[in-house]
Amino acid sequence: MNVQSKKPITAAEQSLLDRYAERRKERQGNASLTALRDGLVHEFDQTGLPGRRIETWHYTDLRTLLKFVPEGFSPETGASAKPLLSDAIVLSARVGGQDSAMPEGMAVSSFNELLTSANATDLLESKRPDDFIGRVNSIFVDGGSVIDVSKGVKLEKPVELQNAASGGHLHTRMSVNIGDGAEGTFIERQIATDTADSFVSSITDLTVGKSAVVTWIISQERGDTDTHLGQINIRLGEDARLMLFIANAGGHLVRQEVHVTADGENSDFALRGVNLLGGDSHTDITMEYDHLVANCVSTETIRNVVFDRARGVFQGQIRVAQIAQKTDAKMACNTLLLSDEGEFFSKPELEIFADDVQCGHGATVADIDENHLFYLKARGISDSKARAMLVNAFISEIVEDLENEDLVEAFEQRFSEWLTRHA
Amino acid sequence: MPAVQETIDQVRQIDVDQYKYGFETLIEMEKAPKGLNEDIIRFISAKKDEPEWMLEWRLSAYRRWLTMEVPSWARVEYPEIDFDDIYYYAAPKSMSGPKTLDEVDPELLRTYEKLGIPLREQEMLAGVQQSRIAVDAVFDSVSVVTTFKEELAKAGVIFMSISEAIREHPDLVRKYLGSVVPVSDNYYATLNSAVFTDGSFVFVPKGVRCPMELSTYFRINEKNTGQFERTLIICEEAGYVSYLEGCTAPQRDENQLHAAVVELVALEDAEIKYSTVQNWFPGDSEGKGGIYNFVTKRGDCRGANSKISWTQVETGSAITWKYPSCILRGDNSRGEFYSIAVSNGRQQIDSGTKMIHLGKNTSSRIISKGISAGKSNNTYRGQVSAHRKATNARNFTQCDSLLIGNNCGAHTVPYIEARNSTAQFEHEATTSKISEDQLFYCLQRGIPEEEAIALIVNGFVKEVIQELPMEFAVEAQKLIGISLEGSVG
Repeated sequence: MNVQSKKPITAAEQSLLDRYAERRKERQGNASLTALRDGLVHEFDQTGLPGRRIETWHYTDLRTLLKFVPEGFSPETGASAKPLLSDAIVLSARVGGQDSAMPEGMAVSSFNELLTSANATDLLESKRPDDFIGRVNSIFVDGGSVIDVSKGVKLEKPVELQNAASGGHLHTRMSVNIGDGAEGTFIERQIATDTADSFVSSITDLTVGKSAVVTWIISQERGDTDTHLGQINIRLGEDARLMLFIANAGGHLVRQEVHVTADGENSDFALRGVNLLGGDSHTDITMEYDHLVANCVSTETIRNVVFDRARGVFQGQIRVAQIAQKTDAKMACNTLLLSDEGEFFSKPELEIFADDVQCGHGATVADIDENHLFYLKARGISDSKARAMLVNAFISEIVEDLENEDLVEAFEQRFSEWLTRHA
Repeated sequence: MPAVQETIDQVRQIDVDQYKYGFETLIEMEKAPKGLNEDIIRFISAKKDEPEWMLEWRLSAYRRWLTMEVPSWARVEYPEIDFDDIYYYAAPKSMSGPKTLDEVDPELLRTYEKLGIPLREQEMLAGVQQSRIAVDAVFDSVSVVTTFKEELAKAGVIFMSISEAIREHPDLVRKYLGSVVPVSDNYYATLNSAVFTDGSFVFVPKGVRCPMELSTYFRINEKNTGQFERTLIICEEAGYVSYLEGCTAPQRDENQLHAAVVELVALEDAEIKYSTVQNWFPGDSEGKGGIYNFVTKRGDCRGANSKISWTQVETGSAITWKYPSCILRGDNSRGEFYSIAVSNGRQQIDSGTKMIHLGKNTSSRIISKGISAGKSNNTYRGQVSAHRKATNARNFTQCDSLLIGNNCGAHTVPYIEARNSTAQFEHEATTSKISEDQLFYCLQRGIPEEEAIALIVNGFVKEVIQELPMEFAVEAQKLIGISLEGSVG
């Protein structure tokens, strides 16, 4: 399934190989790290970018989609964007430094420092054969933060992690550990501070401890020509609760992977995604959820609105191991395809080995319902206004699941601005 | 919620160790030498007295096949097949050349009797059978007999083995063969194109409703042989045909390969109903033996308002790899896929459908029910795709799976591809999504909720399966009652 034979090298592949060769000379890392990276580059040289023959990349064929990779590396800009929420603690995801007062019980350090430690190779080793994002990030990663929230600490203010690129390469990694019983809201913002093309890989490893309660938001705000390859790897402890909210409204070629492993019983995972797609962008959310223990609940709802020539992909795979009895997993992917040139591909997949579980999935694709439109127009609302109202209602349902009023308002505003620009 | 006892009992009745068709017919066979090369293909072609173009067609397929790789994307595992360790042609010695029923070896007739397949027209006419069915009986690599040929011919319907059709209607075969499943379509289809031995040919001319059910019964008997069935059904403008396929094989320790290609062509206003009761030997409870069923089935709704409907009841085979598909090319054409797939023992099923919407106002419906028991794995894999120009394409998909016991797996892999805004696709995999109105209607009349759900969901499948002739559908009938409570998605 995941075998790809050697094909002629693409311009993007060559560019990545060249960048690494340059970087290797400049960079002083420990020997084992360099050896690991050399190995990954050698492998990449053999296999190249993932193409449609690889099942998990079937709809996001980087061999054809990734036409160009910029040459330089993005300079450090710090956390300079205005925060989504005014009371947020703002950090740069890249430097791991603090830009405002750090709350008690939360420690932040630099990922680069961690990389120089002895176990660096463990951090970067990828276990999945089709994990291209993990590989490219391991090859280039330079910058990131390590965040630790102590046991039982309840963060009152949301933490905003800005990952800003101003053109060129940017490869960051965050390692976040939420202690047992801790609570907090984190907003990971993927921002462009410039219109220059950027090529970004960003990985977050998030561990949610026993009985911890976390809201994690990934806000995709990259520029119209940017490539973003994101990945979040989640481990859920016993009784942990995580709401992951993905707001894709930016970027040219975007893939956000979500890998979840439930290894403590009674955890509750909710994924809510809104994909606003326009122009000739390509946006992909790919989720894999491994239920390895019993009694876990998960719900995933993805809502997509497709304009212009945009293309969207949702792949969701829920795997329920033999011992994961009483799993309750529900997945839905609803798409409003508003343009005849737009495309949407969904693959909501279930893989079940336990006999006493409830798993369901649903997927719909349609245009705006004529009856709904008629209802509004009959009340004197213009066609375009009525359409806008219906699109807003379609995504608002998901945004409201965020519960926190300030967050709901911030994202409704952000989406509404996007829709005004594109509709 | 786990499966209910009644369902468990019903599935147990068709468990792998309950296989009833495992007997072997001892009959003298003529075989081509083991292995595959151009000479074997020439041998098969010569045996069937084929024209030169057919041989060329086969040879070019074979050369193409040599360059292809075995597909590995399906969720099935099996040891590498040694294609040189298979007999590609095996026919009863007595079968050299077409014969009338009276000349057929009585041992063969007894075999079909044992299987409950009526081959004697008189018996059927005498009312022994409830309904009349024309049967083409294929034994290993050859067609033994085709019944009711004359009567069908009166109506203008051609029903014969594909080998005969190549000789007698070369223009028709040449026009349509490979036009739905191209020679290079996939590994097993290409292999089949090179070495296919027998299968059925059906031609329903313009405006004709085929006066009776047509059916082919495939039997693999000989050891170490592969069966490469090729079936071609053409239904001209406003024609109608219902075709049924059944299959069994003896119980053997080794695995045997059945790599079939079935092509359906429906022209304007035509309708083809294709039903399968697949009951190949599934292997024993330890997974020893059984048929590898690697099949490419595809229907082309070529004309406007045409309709193709696939119904399958899958209980046999060690490994199933099969996706009966509809290409909805004509405007307003319709595709349907109804499937019940039950896996027991160590069976592995990776099956589903493809609905490719190309024309305007095309619609498709997929109802799939998978039940896994024992140590089996049962995967539904289905693709629904709407082309940019397929305005108002509609699809409804419902797939449910049920697990019995804790050592099996049920998997669902839908691929939903929408390329225009007027497409409307709905995919469901839960029982709770049943229409509230229908449920309310049943509850109002005092039917308990569980029964009501089963009634509504099974209603779809039942409608189709009840039309299968009784003698073929024993397993199907048993399965109808299986309810869906405990569905996992």
